[in-house]
Amino acid sequence: MTMQEPPQPRTARQPAAESPSETDDPALVVDGLVKRFGSGETAVTAVDDVSFSVDRGSVVGLLGPNGAGKTTTIKSILGMVLPDSGSVRVQGVDIYEHPRQAYRHVDAMLEGARNDYWRLTVRENLRYFATISGVVPDSVADRHERLLDQLDLAEKADEPVRSLSRGMKQKVSLASVLATDASVVFLDEPTLGLDVESSLTLRRELRRIVAERDLTVLLSSHDMDVIEDVCDRVIIMNDGRVIADDSVEQLLRQPEASRFRVTSPDIDAALRREITERFDVVEAAVTDDTTRIDVDTDSAGFYDLVALLRADGVTLESVRTPDPDLEDVFLGLTNGGGEKSDERRERTR
Amino acid sequence: MSGDSRTGPASDGVRSSGDDPRPATYYHLAKAVLYREYLIFVRYPANAIGGIVISLFFFGLLFYGGQMVAGQALTDSIEGIIVGYFLWTLAVGAYSSISNDIGSEVQWGTLERHIMTPFGFAPVALLKGVAKVVRTFLTSALILAVMLAVTDTALQLPLVTITVVAALAICSVLGLGFAAGGIAVLYKRIGNWLNLLQFGFILLISAPAFELGWTRLLPLALGSSMLQRAMIEGTRLWQFPLVDLGALVVVAVGYLVLGYAVFELSTRRARRLGVLGDY
Repeated sequence: MTMQEPPQPRTARQPAAESPSETDDPALVVDGLVKRFGSGETAVTAVDDVSFSVDRGSVVGLLGPNGAGKTTTIKSILGMVLPDSGSVRVQGVDIYEHPRQAYRHVDAMLEGARNDYWRLTVRENLRYFATISGVVPDSVADRHERLLDQLDLAEKADEPVRSLSRGMKQKVSLASVLATDASVVFLDEPTLGLDVESSLTLRRELRRIVAERDLTVLLSSHDMDVIEDVCDRVIIMNDGRVIADDSVEQLLRQPEASRFRVTSPDIDAALRREITERFDVVEAAVTDDTTRIDVDTDSAGFYDLVALLRADGVTLESVRTPDPDLEDVFLGLTNGGGEKSDERRERTR
Repeated sequence: MSGDSRTGPASDGVRSSGDDPRPATYYHLAKAVLYREYLIFVRYPANAIGGIVISLFFFGLLFYGGQMVAGQALTDSIEGIIVGYFLWTLAVGAYSSISNDIGSEVQWGTLERHIMTPFGFAPVALLKGVAKVVRTFLTSALILAVMLAVTDTALQLPLVTITVVAALAICSVLGLGFAAGGIAVLYKRIGNWLNLLQFGFILLISAPAFELGWTRLLPLALGSSMLQRAMIEGTRLWQFPLVDLGALVVVAVGYLVLGYAVFELSTRRARRLGVLGDY
């Protein structure tokens, strides 16, 4: 019996390219994506003219507050939500025109720990989803074993997923996505609900696997540490729109991140009040013998501040620019889209 | 599915035979889907056993209760009742497993991964349907054997005829299952209402398809009448008029295609509304 083959997945023997456009194009091109829910006055624009492209082998973070449109954007890219307008090309293939051809390049972890079969074992899940994605599971058996080792799942490989902890289930979800031969992987909140140690392991191994297999990854997360740690580039969304799209390094140099910290034993309450009135004071801390004030301002404003302090006869103990982190940049760009986490605040102090 | 293929991690930089991705064919897909169904069946038999016990309980009620009320009249028609009940358990098993399975896939977050397959969702869904039908055949065969033993009844069992006629009759029910699953994906949590449809199967199974021509176009009706003839009168597949066989095939394929089209339209609408993965 002759069995017909589906559109061929990317394999080592058979490179991804089947046409020149598939060779030359970026891994992902999103152009003018728009998605509205509802109609009339109650209509909500969840994705508002979103465009970006992702080069092959790069890891791009999608960051934004709740309701920013990250998940809808990812689901629209994958065709799981049908957009009102716009186009998406994966490895040069239009995902709406030729979904089956495009899906051979793609896999996604959309719902955290909710995208595999809990009644099957870990290994059975890897084999099943490899097959569904168009790869003979035996031909990637070694890859599966490495994944199990890398994600600390080897000991649990023959246990049903339902018997595992939430963190382990999350790792199985990730493993079942990476068990395929997809070259473009979408990860929606991959570390959601993980403890610190599990999150660190997952980030470390994700970086290693991405480098090993030259994967292209679009990753959405609320966890800025994950984005900062794993991603080459960050796309920040707010109210359905892309409001920033740059490398992590460039974003950290944003004007919004220009913060100055002055520390002095001579700043009294009246002077603190005056500084607060004239400048954008982000944080002020008063101890028994010293006062520390963080001010967001440009260089001209900084000189004004120093002049004010000098005029008041203040002796400065120190003046420095605290290193901003991605969360500072994010809060600046989204007008505070969520308060800075306590853990982060502690760390920056 | 092939056996355990673990060969250990490949050494760095060297691709072993276990890390040389080869494209899967529909054969591999079929193996994977059927093997998964098999694993669930043997690993979690409680559902299947529960279904068998409940089916036999209701048959017991029907048989002994009917004997008390109708006496000899029921005993005279017991063969027809057994065949009808056998087909009803088959139909209910196939319908509920396919419609509930789609709902479960939504809850598990796996429906989207099945839609995102380069094989396309249709062959995956069809294979899942085949797996459900095979499973239901096994459990219904067991129920049939117990019914025959309890009632001390003998029936003709021309296996080829029974398998072909029952499978074609069930195809139309699979179509209804796909339609119900699609509607559940769109409207959520209406599974209990859709399950009521299975009681409508009783009417379809008892429809006089040979006497009332138009009822042949209904799902299950013609299949049920043909199955009665095969199992009670011993009619073989090749002894049925061609027009009946043709009608059986057309109805089976028609409802299957129609049901899948409803599923496609419903999931497309769900994707438009952004509720595909919601539950």
